[in-house]
Amino acid sequence: MDALNNLMYGFGIALEPMNIAYVFAGVFAGTIIGMLPGLGPISALALMIPITFAMEPSSGLILMAGVYYGAIFGGSSSSILLNAPGVAGTVATSFDGYPMAKQGMAGKALAIAAYASFVGGTISIVFLMMVAPMLSKVAVAFGPAEYFALMVLGLTAVVSLSDKSLVKGLIAAVVGIMISIIGIDLQTGTVRFAFGSSHLLDGIDFLVVALGIFALAEVFYMLLRGGGGKEQPRNAIGSLKLSRSEVGEIAGPIGRSSVLGFFTGVLPGAGATIGSFLGYSMEKRIAKDGDTFGKGNIKGVAAPEAANNAACTGSFVPLLTLGVPGSGTTAVLLGALLVMGVSPGPAMLVDRPDVFWGVIASMYIGNIMLLVLNLPLIPYIAKILEMPRPLLLSLILIFCMVGVYGMSFSVFDLLFLLGFGLVGLGMRLFGFPAAPLILALILGAIMEESMRRALQISGGDWMVFIDKPISMWLLIIAALSLLLPVVKPMLRKLRTRRTA
Amino acid sequence: MTRLNSNQIIALLLALLSVGYLAMAWQIPAFPLPRPIDSDLFPKVLGFTLLGLAVLLFLEAPAAGEPQPDGDTDEPREPLLLRPWSRVVVTAIALAAYALLLVPVGFVVASTLLSFGLAWYYGYRRHGVNLATSLGVVLALYLTMTRVMEVYLPTGILPI
Repeated sequence: MDALNNLMYGFGIALEPMNIAYVFAGVFAGTIIGMLPGLGPISALALMIPITFAMEPSSGLILMAGVYYGAIFGGSSSSILLNAPGVAGTVATSFDGYPMAKQGMAGKALAIAAYASFVGGTISIVFLMMVAPMLSKVAVAFGPAEYFALMVLGLTAVVSLSDKSLVKGLIAAVVGIMISIIGIDLQTGTVRFAFGSSHLLDGIDFLVVALGIFALAEVFYMLLRGGGGKEQPRNAIGSLKLSRSEVGEIAGPIGRSSVLGFFTGVLPGAGATIGSFLGYSMEKRIAKDGDTFGKGNIKGVAAPEAANNAACTGSFVPLLTLGVPGSGTTAVLLGALLVMGVSPGPAMLVDRPDVFWGVIASMYIGNIMLLVLNLPLIPYIAKILEMPRPLLLSLILIFCMVGVYGMSFSVFDLLFLLGFGLVGLGMRLFGFPAAPLILALILGAIMEESMRRALQISGGDWMVFIDKPISMWLLIIAALSLLLPVVKPMLRKLRTRRTA
Repeated sequence: MTRLNSNQIIALLLALLSVGYLAMAWQIPAFPLPRPIDSDLFPKVLGFTLLGLAVLLFLEAPAAGEPQPDGDTDEPREPLLLRPWSRVVVTAIALAAYALLLVPVGFVVASTLLSFGLAWYYGYRRHGVNLATSLGVVLALYLTMTRVMEVYLPTGILPI
């Protein structure tokens, strides 16, 4: 009953008129940004940080949660309408969503996406409510050694699960940590890597890096590719209604994929992209009409959509209970929280129940908003996609610049933003994944601090990381996760040789 | 001599970076009181890790689709200013100029100019719509930031 009381308390906060307005604004803005090809939840969240800066932490996080949901949903819309997924998490949606749109059933696909997202989100919120308090009880026993190991695991998992080169992912992560420790070392007061500049004493703000590497780099990339690609012919949206038999058909896939998605989301490094692909391939295997997947099967839209939304919610578990984000997106959320003066972790449930339960309740509300307000508005929101690309690109640039300047009031940071935009472009061109860098940037400084604290307690004995069972196992899993991409192709080769 | 591929060039740059980083890490002053772990250890570990990764990258073959030095650049012969790379360079210069002029010129003027100018440069020809949208969005941003969120933005040459 405790959880229910807490949830009621959360609803009390989330249902304050201002907070409802924030959820709606967040979902709406997120949908628009997520719909723009190339701009995903990370850019959407980073663009929102300056706005949440002055807010109550619970309101700020409520807004951010709305943006996150909205961005994922917006991404699905552009996957379905344009075959141009705004986010990796909705790529699987385009497999069947776009064929449906070509057959004049875009509205149906969008409606299925919205229902599936709603159910996926709602089921996983129930799981989140049950799992998070339990996990945070365990996490209270975590000392610095365990935290260090956990963060190492988070980083290696993100690196090994990205579809790019392992070495490049690790390089991105190491560079991210390097950036994070620039400035005054909080434990000794020693200045590191500031090049004698007073601007760098506080380090480089993560917003500058996040907006540069994601949003700005994306604009540069679109410019390089000729202004965002050719205009695709738009399909009529059609009716949003589903028949009863269709609802029956998608109910099973949605249920299964929601549960699968949630647990994928909880795992560090996994998250929406992997969740949605797993959901899609699972349903394709189970379905009797599996061979029609990819040709506009409604289950092929429902499964990845339920899974990716459930995974989004799942990824809040490590963030809220351990204070350790498991993905680039939740890393940006953590950054936003830190800016607002809240440090998530096991103590948050006790110290800031308003934030914790307010966010959970606002997730319910955000989900309902998505369904009730966003779905009918989709045909109108889709008009944004018709906005001339040149105008859109130049406005995104302005938003990036204001975002950084409004937060730091520093021209220096604007130049840094530009620099990181160019670095991000280079990373995109040469296949360096950006998510490990951003996660490492957020985790780097905390990682060093936990490592040093652990060693301080042990008197400099490195065995402290192995003597403690939890930390040892986390490190072993981290090492294994790095071996995975190396071993997988070998196994595949062996298997093909055996069948040949 | 065989040509270096893109990974190898990046690896060499990263190796240089890590050597420089390590050199700086060794200059981090020690904390007066002896501590088991001082400020310099973590950076040293990072520097060596990056160096090792650079070596691995040098040995890795680039994935398909990554740009290679001297690769076939069958860019259509457009006027220099309109080639894709020129667009990136011009945009970067425009942003740098914007950063430097923001305070003296003011947010509203600088941002409107940037947005209008770049949209024009990217090929948008309906100037009236362009100006109205740029000015409208910038003004809306300015008023939201300064009036609602009470974030100061430079007024520059405008009296407001």
